[in-house]
Amino acid sequence: MATLEIKDLHVEVEDKDKKSKKKILKGVNLSLKTGEIHAIMGPNGTGKSTLSETIMGNPRYHVTQGDILLNNESIVEMPVDERARKGLFLAMQYPAEVPGVTNAEFLRAAINACRPKDDPISVMTFLNELDKNLDLLDMNEAMTERYLNEGFSGGEKKRNEILQMLMIKPSFGILDEIDSGLDIDALRVVSRGVNAMRGDKFGALMITHYQRLLDYIVPDVVHVMMDGRVVKDGGPDLAKKLEQEGYAGLRDELGLDIKLVDEN
Amino acid sequence: MLTKENLLNFSHKNNESSWLTDLRIKSFERLEELDYPKMQRFSYQDWPLIKKEDFSWSNQADFSLKEEQKLLEKKGIILTDIFTASKKYPELVQSTLGSVIKHNEDKLTAYHYAYLNSGLFLYIPKDIILTEPITISLSPTQDTYISHLLIVADNNSKVKFLEEIQDKEKKASSASLMVELIARPGSHIEFSSLDELSQDTTLYFNRRAKIEKDAHVEWAIAFMNDCNTLGDLDSELVGEGSFADSKAIAVTTANQKVGINNRVTNRGPHSTGLINQRGVLLENSRLIFNGIGQIVHGAHGSKADQQNRVLMMSDEAHGDANPLLLIDENDVIAAHAASVGPVDKVQMNYLMSRGIPYDQAQRLVIRGFLGAVLDAIPNKDVRRKMIDILERKLIDGQIKH
Repeated sequence: MATLEIKDLHVEVEDKDKKSKKKILKGVNLSLKTGEIHAIMGPNGTGKSTLSETIMGNPRYHVTQGDILLNNESIVEMPVDERARKGLFLAMQYPAEVPGVTNAEFLRAAINACRPKDDPISVMTFLNELDKNLDLLDMNEAMTERYLNEGFSGGEKKRNEILQMLMIKPSFGILDEIDSGLDIDALRVVSRGVNAMRGDKFGALMITHYQRLLDYIVPDVVHVMMDGRVVKDGGPDLAKKLEQEGYAGLRDELGLDIKLVDEN
Repeated sequence: MLTKENLLNFSHKNNESSWLTDLRIKSFERLEELDYPKMQRFSYQDWPLIKKEDFSWSNQADFSLKEEQKLLEKKGIILTDIFTASKKYPELVQSTLGSVIKHNEDKLTAYHYAYLNSGLFLYIPKDIILTEPITISLSPTQDTYISHLLIVADNNSKVKFLEEIQDKEKKASSASLMVELIARPGSHIEFSSLDELSQDTTLYFNRRAKIEKDAHVEWAIAFMNDCNTLGDLDSELVGEGSFADSKAIAVTTANQKVGINNRVTNRGPHSTGLINQRGVLLENSRLIFNGIGQIVHGAHGSKADQQNRVLMMSDEAHGDANPLLLIDENDVIAAHAASVGPVDKVQMNYLMSRGIPYDQAQRLVIRGFLGAVLDAIPNKDVRRKMIDILERKLIDGQIKH
């Protein structure tokens, strides 16, 4: 069993235009185990994406306090590639386009990065896995020879993120608004991919605005974030309740003094 | 000292036609007085591009063809070494050789025509459409290697030409490589080249296309040499509605110095000239990419667009990406973009977030940066080879993390 613990995490991000630093996370605590699916919900501007980028190690985000432990080992000082090789995966909200590198080549490079140098994945094993996962995600084989995300539609990019996750098989997948910009059919397909990974070797942290995603991927735990903190934990019903009452309702119920970004 | 006697002597030894001997002699006679071509902020006059003493040379074919030549002959296509062509097709060769790049432009062109000792002639007859690329491999024939490729695409013909230049077997102390492309009305030429000369040589190149009415020329040149390099890639849009897309990439390493002018001149109305240059600098190397887009008076309705970008992979390297737009006509569209900078951080973070180590991620991002030329090479094996050379250069020159 693998574990991922976030302890009292404080994070700042540099604002390039203003040349100042902005505090975004103000003490986040979370604990995940493989075999569990967690969902993080919360209003806009509350730090959900910052949390996922920070766990993965995007150098734009600076941890000022607290710790992130992967299997009881602190990873805050580790570069992003090392975190990935230790079993973390972030399905990004806006995946980068990398021309000149085909999807297939990229996938092999990523898989081999986790393996000993003298033991790369065999071509047959790789192709079999790839075929199986392409089928699962209703993806066309031709896309493997296309350049990484280049000219992909929003939906294709999201599927491609899940394809990578299926191929790389991380211990923890962080899914940052994997549902945004997807129509119902694409959402179903993407969810099928995530559900296929469910099991005792995989844990996920899903970030979403909407309860809709959680109908397809049913979480074990739901966390609600507001103003840089987790303010409430619960089961799947918590998400349903939020859908009815909104974030402002929960805030008032908890007696929190927070202004929501989109509140008039 | 270089002497006329020596030149005449070898021309006769090689049984050359009198017109070719004459071209050599009139070039030789201008050699002394002509200046070196100017390259802004780039000094190369001490390079051994011109021999100081007489030397022996002979006319030799410097290429091998990768496919069935007979298939080409059937269609009336001529593909032979330039000296055989000068005898078998004297009118065709005499009227075209030296018509795009003149012998008396500067010291280096005069030297080239006086001493040229290798080369190829390709003629595509009217209306012939070749779908498969013609692929050749070039290598130096002698210590002073002076090679001339003359390609004539007659009206409405279409050809893809790919050359690979390497000196694995024989090295030259200096190389002068010229290409003259003549794109007759309505023709279409895609010319790509993978240059990979070793550091033992010093390279001067001059590749120029004359593009007539509604003709279309695309260059895709990969400067993957290890040697000091100087030269011009040039498109003369003389015809109305003509089109040129001039793509070039260079990767420089060690103490290499490379200066490249990529010039497109719009002379015909409604002509389009595009320049896209990408350079990657490693270690102590120096690379200058001048993108020169000129629209002359009368070329109304024309378009010039250029991009010059260089990636600096070392603090010790010096790179310049200079866009120059010279416009002498009002009714035109012209644009340029230039940048000198580091590797794209967003792409790096994405690749690394999948476990790919920094150095490898950097090489992959750089490959994408050079993708425009890579994609234009019409042969999978040559593309693969280019990627391998790129990988090797980057691994050798990369700052380790």
